[in-house]
Amino acid sequence: MKTGESGGMAHASERNRGTQSALPFRANHENGSRVPPSSALIFAVDHPFHFTQTLACRDCDALLEMPPVHEGEKLVCPRCVSPLLTYSRNSLHRTAAFAFASALLFAVSNFFPFMTLRAGFRESQMRLWQSASGLEDQGSTILGGAVSLFIIGAPILLIGGLLYLILPLFSNRRLPGAIVVCRWVLAARRWNMLEVFMLGALVSLLKLGKLATLTLGTAFWSFVALILCLTAALGSIHPRELWARLEQAEP
Amino acid sequence: MSEFPRQSAAARGLALCDVCEFVAPVRDGACPRCGHSLHLRAAGSLQRTWALTIAAFLLYFPANLLPVLRVESFQGDHQNTIIGGVIEFWQQGDYPVALIIFGASVVIPVLKIISIIALCLAARSGRRARPMTRIYRVTEFIGRWSMVDVFVVAILVGLVQLGSAISIHPGAGALSFAAVVVLTMFAAMSFDPRLIWDAAAAHGEEPSPS
Repeated sequence: MKTGESGGMAHASERNRGTQSALPFRANHENGSRVPPSSALIFAVDHPFHFTQTLACRDCDALLEMPPVHEGEKLVCPRCVSPLLTYSRNSLHRTAAFAFASALLFAVSNFFPFMTLRAGFRESQMRLWQSASGLEDQGSTILGGAVSLFIIGAPILLIGGLLYLILPLFSNRRLPGAIVVCRWVLAARRWNMLEVFMLGALVSLLKLGKLATLTLGTAFWSFVALILCLTAALGSIHPRELWARLEQAEP
Repeated sequence: MSEFPRQSAAARGLALCDVCEFVAPVRDGACPRCGHSLHLRAAGSLQRTWALTIAAFLLYFPANLLPVLRVESFQGDHQNTIIGGVIEFWQQGDYPVALIIFGASVVIPVLKIISIIALCLAARSGRRARPMTRIYRVTEFIGRWSMVDVFVVAILVGLVQLGSAISIHPGAGALSFAAVVVLTMFAAMSFDPRLIWDAAAAHGEEPSPS
């Protein structure tokens, strides 16, 4: 933390000038109340934000002193009211559990049939990845590639990356390339479109339901559970907490 | 560095790392935590956002005029545009589905392009900084939902392989539509909302603390 000192000094001068508005408020999850921070609290060594002295808002660039933050609390920027960070309860355990469940559900979702279509004596089954490869077979290589990125590539990167980062953190370690992996995981969040695909599946269900008999396969239901688990896994650990924990972990 | 608002990190020469959200002096060049290069503001943010938005706007026309789906059956060929699909659902009395597709495929992309233009203008004027920041966050979050129609095409093509009886092929509209969604997502990503707050302070429009 060579550079943290200068950040801290910038902060001290900020505090001396008495700009109270630059201090974030703690918003309590339970009742939504806001309490001003008490700078008296010093984080314990094993606290994820032990080394964090300053925060800057991503949306408005307000410079803020890191306030005491406890499990289950979230911080809101006082200037632009954007969420700054959420420190979830049992964040590591929760993320690991949901990511592990997501990995299993993802395998089930791709292995079993997603939907089966029957018209007369003909029957055709679709597995999840076939929605992408079907497009490629029809000559839409770019579209097929994009769809496979949104529903296969990004989720694999998210689930695998999260497990790669979180599991070693239990013994306060980080594996080689953790920084690159973390960067890719955070970038993949935006391109993971499982829930949008689910809405598309429901629309196609209604579109085809009148022409033929459609049955939903095992993969459809595990896909629903996958969406819930992956959303929960991502929601359980805030990027700022993940980076702070990775920083403190031993390589 | 007086052009930045007093309470901003940039005014003190501190930059927020785009990747790991570490605060470090910008003169270091690279983030001491993750090694990513440091900038006070995203470079060329507005130009890039404008360019991507204009590209998305132009592609919006083929996306809606060209068919997204071509159905070949013994009854003959049948082509479907996005609006055609909405009208079909509406005529069959499936009003909720018609509204969902209309919302995801027509309303959201148009609203997204409009709101990105509004954000670019706000980054110059600095007006209504707080609501504009909220619009930015909603725009970033909502963009992906427009992809619904592309996934419907993917599922129909993947599912309906009933030999010679009926076959479904993707149309050129589907690719243009996916491109519109991806371009607007990149446009929202390249926009730097901090510019709104810089402009707000420069024009004396800084909202009072909440």
